[in-house]
Amino acid sequence: MTAAIETERPPWRRRWLNGNARRRAVTAIRLFAFAALAIWSIATPGFVSPLSLSALMTAISFIGCVAVGMTFITLTGNIMSLSLGVTLSAAALVFLSSLALGIVGACIVAVLFGVAVSGVQGIVIGYFRANPILVSIAALALITGISELVTGGQRVYPTAANFAFFKSRIAGIPVTTLIFLGAVALGELILSGTRFGRAMRMVGSNWRAAEAAGLNAATVVTGAYLLAGAFSAVSGILLAARYGSGDMELGAGYDYSAIAAVLVGGTAIQGGEGSVLRTLIGVSVIAAVEVVLLLRGFPEELQYLVTGIIVLLVIMLHTIGGRE
Amino acid sequence: MKRLIEPTLRPFTIFAGTIVVLALIDRGTGYFFSLATAFSVMQLFATLSLVALGLGLSMLIREFDLSVAGVVGLSGCIAVLTGADHPWFGLLCGLAAGIASGALQGFIMTRLQLSSVGVTLGGLLTMQGITYVLTGNRSIAYGNLPVALGLNAPIASILSVRSAVALAVFFAAAAVMAWTHLGRDVVATGSDRRAAMVAGVKTDRVVIGVFTASGAFAALAGVLLSYSLGAASPAALSDVLAPAAAAAIIGGVSVVGGRGHPLGIAAGVLTLSLLRSGLSAIGVSPHVHEIVTGAILLGIGILEGPDLARRVIAWRLNRTQLESLP
Amino acid sequence: MQLLNGGAEAIPPAAAPREAILEVEGITKRFGANVVLKGASLAFRAGEIHAICGENGAGKSTLVKLLTGVYRPDAGGVRIDGIWRDIRHPLEAQALGVALVSQELSLAPALSIEDNIWLGNREVPLFHRRRHLREAARRTLDQLGMERVALATPVSRLSIGQRQLVEIARMLTRHARVLILDEPTATLSDSEIERIFAALRRLRAEGKSILYITHRLGEVFELCDRVSVLRNGEVIATRRTAEIDRAALMAMMLGRRLSDMYPQWETREGDILLRVRGLRVHGAVEDFALDAARGKVVCLAGQVGSGAVETLRALAGLVPGASGKVSVAGRPLKLRSVQRAQARGVQFISEDRAGEAIFLRLRVGENLIATRLAQLSRFGLLRGGAMRRAARTLAETVGVDPARLRSRAGELSGGNQQKVAFGRVVEAGEARVLLMNEPTRGVDVGARADIYRLIRRFCEAGHAVVIASSDLEEVLGMADEIVTLYRGRRIGFYRRGEADQQRLLADITHPAAA
Repeated sequence: MTAAIETERPPWRRRWLNGNARRRAVTAIRLFAFAALAIWSIATPGFVSPLSLSALMTAISFIGCVAVGMTFITLTGNIMSLSLGVTLSAAALVFLSSLALGIVGACIVAVLFGVAVSGVQGIVIGYFRANPILVSIAALALITGISELVTGGQRVYPTAANFAFFKSRIAGIPVTTLIFLGAVALGELILSGTRFGRAMRMVGSNWRAAEAAGLNAATVVTGAYLLAGAFSAVSGILLAARYGSGDMELGAGYDYSAIAAVLVGGTAIQGGEGSVLRTLIGVSVIAAVEVVLLLRGFPEELQYLVTGIIVLLVIMLHTIGGRE
Repeated sequence: MKRLIEPTLRPFTIFAGTIVVLALIDRGTGYFFSLATAFSVMQLFATLSLVALGLGLSMLIREFDLSVAGVVGLSGCIAVLTGADHPWFGLLCGLAAGIASGALQGFIMTRLQLSSVGVTLGGLLTMQGITYVLTGNRSIAYGNLPVALGLNAPIASILSVRSAVALAVFFAAAAVMAWTHLGRDVVATGSDRRAAMVAGVKTDRVVIGVFTASGAFAALAGVLLSYSLGAASPAALSDVLAPAAAAAIIGGVSVVGGRGHPLGIAAGVLTLSLLRSGLSAIGVSPHVHEIVTGAILLGIGILEGPDLARRVIAWRLNRTQLESLP
Repeated sequence: MQLLNGGAEAIPPAAAPREAILEVEGITKRFGANVVLKGASLAFRAGEIHAICGENGAGKSTLVKLLTGVYRPDAGGVRIDGIWRDIRHPLEAQALGVALVSQELSLAPALSIEDNIWLGNREVPLFHRRRHLREAARRTLDQLGMERVALATPVSRLSIGQRQLVEIARMLTRHARVLILDEPTATLSDSEIERIFAALRRLRAEGKSILYITHRLGEVFELCDRVSVLRNGEVIATRRTAEIDRAALMAMMLGRRLSDMYPQWETREGDILLRVRGLRVHGAVEDFALDAARGKVVCLAGQVGSGAVETLRALAGLVPGASGKVSVAGRPLKLRSVQRAQARGVQFISEDRAGEAIFLRLRVGENLIATRLAQLSRFGLLRGGAMRRAARTLAETVGVDPARLRSRAGELSGGNQQKVAFGRVVEAGEARVLLMNEPTRGVDVGARADIYRLIRRFCEAGHAVVIASSDLEEVLGMADEIVTLYRGRRIGFYRRGEADQQRLLADITHPAAA
């Protein structure tokens, strides 16, 4: 008659701790860690000073834009992209070379470039379901190779140069930070406030169910990659304006920092769960830890190590807490 | 003819094809086909192959070891720091670091049932961090010059100690895969982990073992490289991941697991090394090498995409079938 | 086709009883308040093929899991060679000689036959390419009738029937004396079935004991020596197949009154909303035809492998290789695209809830409104208030507690998840066609009644509903029209009241010449 619900798990697969209790414990640990970090930061002499806060915010801005883009990729279940760093660098080069069109024109060209480069990857991953990490590695090699060929390995200097706007402040906050916060706002709006954002969540949560519900998963994935390319290009523009010149080393290491920020913020690496605001938290946490370490006299090299350990712990914590 | 494109033989076909293409470009001027080129090919092989082997094995079981680059750097630094007077001791320390990192990551993965990407990412960052701390963010010179020179001295004009060691490791790996049931268990775990578990394979042990081996191989590569360069630098090999992945894929390893073989990986590495040495020997810009690598990776990624078949079928059906009102 | 009379080989007279290798005595198993097996006692003898028959939920799979150590009994126990054994793990069961070949095979497609046979075997030494192992594997394969298949063939190149034989071969090399086969022929072609039968007969001659779990009664009589019938967790009877006939067997399997879980209604006539002709899914459905009318529920009755489930998936646009002529409300519908189907008003609820219907990590509210985001947004921007209202309305319509709207869908029970899936497709408005596969699989009794009521209400609003189900009681309780399927073909058509369970069972288990 009825198909009995067989809920007994085989003995060798039983888990420890009930689901709800586990989740509450994990949330408690997270809150505690966050509070501890906040207290530790504020207690650090020199942390709550305009200089260090400004340095903090600038550091956040560059990586943060890329991290926002990475959020979309991770959220749609594509784990991560290793090509955002070189996309950033190449977009910066494009920006610097197109200044003849004026700053706004050059920005548009650079963003379009980022969108195109990333969009191609999205198409391949979305329509053929090619492995996302692999495709990003392929793109990494292709972009690096072509860019270096075109520039001949030289640094690119701007044809005309007036980046005063980017280096100024509005109401005491650096313009770069404002642009970053604008990117966060835009990203969060897209993710939580639009149909497309919701579609990205669904595709990341369960690709098959999304298709069965009538979504075109391939298009959604492509869109996520388009966005990632755009945000990376923005970061490239900001960096180029900051340093006044650029080469392909500009974005080195940004991929790992970005995905670290995404994961520390709490976005699940399997996809379907997360938000741009969480990424903002992740970026802030990592940057805060770095600044505090610096202020307290720890050698700069310790940053990497601490970041890595934090990432590991957060992933472990998140997965333990999130299992049903 | 079709058999040559089948994944098991494909790496060797590609390798042979590469030689042919380079020979054609060379047109007998001798720039390419020389012992010097062969030697530089094998030198590249020495480092890249071990990393590709480890990464390839992790791909075999349907995981991905992002931390190989970190292990290479860390083990090199540890070896240089501890092995100035006793190179063997330094080698052991470096190897121990690699083995420990692989085993620990594997343990975390199996115990907590986590995906390898997250764990190895954390491992990579951690190891890069430790490397920075140990070296104080500077290059550290390795004082033992005889060892450095000895590792790179040509043997029979083509090999060196480093490449010979790498080849030996490959043959050992191939032997283990072919002659012991460990190879079969690894392929089974990658092919269908649930099925392997039901059949009685201890898949957890397989995962830990593979990551430990990957760590060991990467460590070996890092130690030997640092010794031979006479220095260890924290930023040395951050870009070894792309070529290693490319070599493994060209070598026939499937990203979704269950397919791959050490000899195939060796062929893939040789192909890439050939391209790099060969192209530069002929005078082509080194950046073309990156482009070619990327293009090959992209192509194979598309070909192996599961939806390629589905879309081709659907496209064909849509073309040939006419549906009218019943 | 298959023979009807009992077995092609003569069975020795029952005068000399064979030894029972595996016995089950007084086994009881409970899940919460649900008693799934009550005091079942069975004996499986050497040199015999023993069939276990019963409908969905009769307790067959629970029995198998108890025999192989996946579950532990709450009362009673298992005896092997006369000794009580406490089996805690399938590998322990194998060590005792009890091996299961389930529908979900555990072969590694990338490995060769030989490697798969010895995979995970404790007795294999580290250097596993030994001649004696290869010869043993070869012998076992020959024993099963696969003389012409090379040991080095990768399993990915074998047909399903051949793979099953490889799995059996693996069990034989682990010294299995009792082989449990769970619905082995559900996905096999006729010739492969013959091959399996030949192999099983050979094993029987060698003294193995074979448990053959099936719902295909024709096979019971063709292959098996004995048959036990399970019903509602009890062993109704065990008989020698030579001593009974199909009618008697079916009578033992049935014998339940229709419970009042099903709503009462009046069949109305309506115009045809969905018309299907010549539907074909390679390997699953052959030349299928169907008419579904407004206000009516059509049930496709069939067991696993009958093609009922695949038919609805094809109509929903999920099968890339489907072809046929389909029209909805008079206009043709092209298959192979979910969006086209949905644009035409064809909605689908999958049998694989967790894999294909529910977004487990998203919230219940988000799940409910997943398919109507277009209406709930303007210029691409979602309207929060409208979304919340819609989610609450839908939750109330289908009977999901609005307090749970913010919980993750993965935390709900099967029944509530099904209601959520239903809520997603429920819509006022123009006439639609709802396709549901196995609507109450994994759903507890209480929620089932709710779901039946929901289906009826949906129907009364003027829509057409097509359900594929292997639960005959459900089919009889819900359908205005019944179409029976067997092995991908349409067998029979009945209006409400024209068929009883016996008739349906006969159709879907073996529609013989009778």
